[in-house]
Amino acid sequence: MNCDWVRENIALYLYNELADDARHELEQHAARCGHCAAELAEMRRFQEQMSLRPMLEVTPNLLAASRMQLQEALESTEQVRGWQSLFFDPWAWLRQARFSPALAAVIFIAGFGGGIGATYRAMMNHIPSNIVQEQHQEASISGIRNIITKPGGKEVQIELEKTLPEQVQGSIDDPNIQNLLMLAARSNINSGVRMDSVDLLKQKPDDGRIRESLIFSLRYDSNPGVRLKALEALNGYVKQDIRVRNAVLEALLNDNNPGVRTGAIKALEQVRADSSVRQALQELAKEDPNEFIRTESKRVLASCPEID
Amino acid sequence: MIGQSPSRINDAELIRAAQKGDRAAFEQLVRQYDQAVLRLALQLTGTEQDARDIYQDAFLKAYRNIGNFRFECSFYTWIYRIVTNLCLDHLRRKQVRKEDAPVAFDEHGQEYSIIDQVSDNRPGASPERDLMRRELGARIAKALTKLTPRERMVFEMKHYQGLKLRTIGEALNTTEETAKNTLFRATQKLRAALADMR
Repeated sequence: MNCDWVRENIALYLYNELADDARHELEQHAARCGHCAAELAEMRRFQEQMSLRPMLEVTPNLLAASRMQLQEALESTEQVRGWQSLFFDPWAWLRQARFSPALAAVIFIAGFGGGIGATYRAMMNHIPSNIVQEQHQEASISGIRNIITKPGGKEVQIELEKTLPEQVQGSIDDPNIQNLLMLAARSNINSGVRMDSVDLLKQKPDDGRIRESLIFSLRYDSNPGVRLKALEALNGYVKQDIRVRNAVLEALLNDNNPGVRTGAIKALEQVRADSSVRQALQELAKEDPNEFIRTESKRVLASCPEID
Repeated sequence: MIGQSPSRINDAELIRAAQKGDRAAFEQLVRQYDQAVLRLALQLTGTEQDARDIYQDAFLKAYRNIGNFRFECSFYTWIYRIVTNLCLDHLRRKQVRKEDAPVAFDEHGQEYSIIDQVSDNRPGASPERDLMRRELGARIAKALTKLTPRERMVFEMKHYQGLKLRTIGEALNTTEETAKNTLFRATQKLRAALADMR
C-alpha cells in the first residue's frame, strides 16, 4: 500500500467501489499519512460540491406525458423479425458462425451495392451534372438476401445488401438539393441537422412546397430551436397564407415552449382582421398559466384595432 | 432458478411474452425501468423535450429489437446500454453542433436558463444560499463540459445515479476496470476545472 495507489483509488473508496480489504487498508494508510489524509479530505469536499448541483426531477406530468407518447408510438411500431434483426446487430450472425463449424469452415460472400430508400434513389437518378457526388466511405451491411450452401456442406454463399453513404453538393436553388433538405428537415433524428436544413430552407419560403415543409417543422418538430427557426422563416407569410396563420395560431395555443409561443404572438401581431386570432388572444389573456404570455396577449389585444 | 432474483424471473416471463408481440407485457417491462431512464436522460440533456426524445427512442428501439435479446445479461443492463448510447450520441452532437437550448422568457421578456430556476426547497435554504448554489451549479455545468462524452456518462451514472461501476461498464459495453479508469480521469478533470474557476 503506497501513496500512489491510495491517490488512484480514493475516488473508488468514496464511491464504495473498493473491496472490503482494500477499503480497510486505505483507511489505515490515510490514518498514518498526512498527504493522503489531506487528499481524502479534498476529494470528499469535491464530492460534496458536485452534489450541490441542481438536479432536475422527473415530474409526474413529464412521466405521464412520456408514457402516453410511447404508448401511441408503440401502436404503429413493428418488431424486427428474422433476417431484419441483423440490421440492428449485423455481427450477430458472425457470433453464431463461431459456434457453427460448417459456416465457420469456409465462407464465400458475394455482395452488391444498394440504395437507402425509394425516394432517395429516385432523386439520385435525376441528379443533374452540376451536382457533385462524392463517395468516400465504405459500404456497410444493411441486410442478408440469401444464403446458399454449396455441395459438400462446407462452403456457403451469402448475398447481402449494403448501404453506401454519399455526399452531394449543389446550389440551394436546385430542386434536388431542396428535396434533400426537406427530407432532412422532416425525418433526420439529429436535431442539429434538422436545424441546419430549416435554416437553409428559410431562404426559399416563397416556394409552396418549402413553406409546407416549414409548417410541418413548426407543428411537429420535437426540438423547440427548430420550431423557432421555422417560425422565423414563416413570419413573412402569416398575413397572406392562411395555412401559415393557422399553424402559428396552433403554436401559440399548444406549443409547450414559452419561447415559441412568444414568437407566435409577435408573428400574429401583424394580423389585424382575424377574429380567430383575437379570440385566442382573449382566452390567453384571461387564463394562460404563463404570466408573460398573459401580459403579451393583453398588450397585443390593446394595440390591435377592431375587426374590419 | 437458483441465484436469480424474483424480479429477474418476472422480467424473463415478460420479455418472452413481449418477444411474441405482447405489447402489454412490454409496457409492463417499461414501467419497471422508465423512471430511472427518464431521470438519467433529463440530467444528461437538461431539457424535458430532449429527455422525452431519448426516452421514446430508447423504448421504441427496445420494442423493435426485443427479439434480439438473448438473456445473456439482465434486461436492466440491456435497456441501460440502449439509453447510454443514445445519451452519448446526444452529448457528441452537442459537442459538434452548438444546438440552441430551449428558451424560456421571464415577465420582462428576458431569456433565462431553466436549470437556474431549480430552486432549493430544502429546510435551511435561504436566498443567499440559493444564489450561491446556482452559481456553483453554473460552475459545475461548465466543468462537466470539459469531460469527453464517455467520461461525462460514467461520472453522471456513478455520482448522480448511484450505479455500480460494473453496471456502468456493461452499459457502455466495456469492462468494469475501464469504467474505473474513466471515473478516475473524470474526477481529476472536474477537480482541476473547478479549481481553475475559483
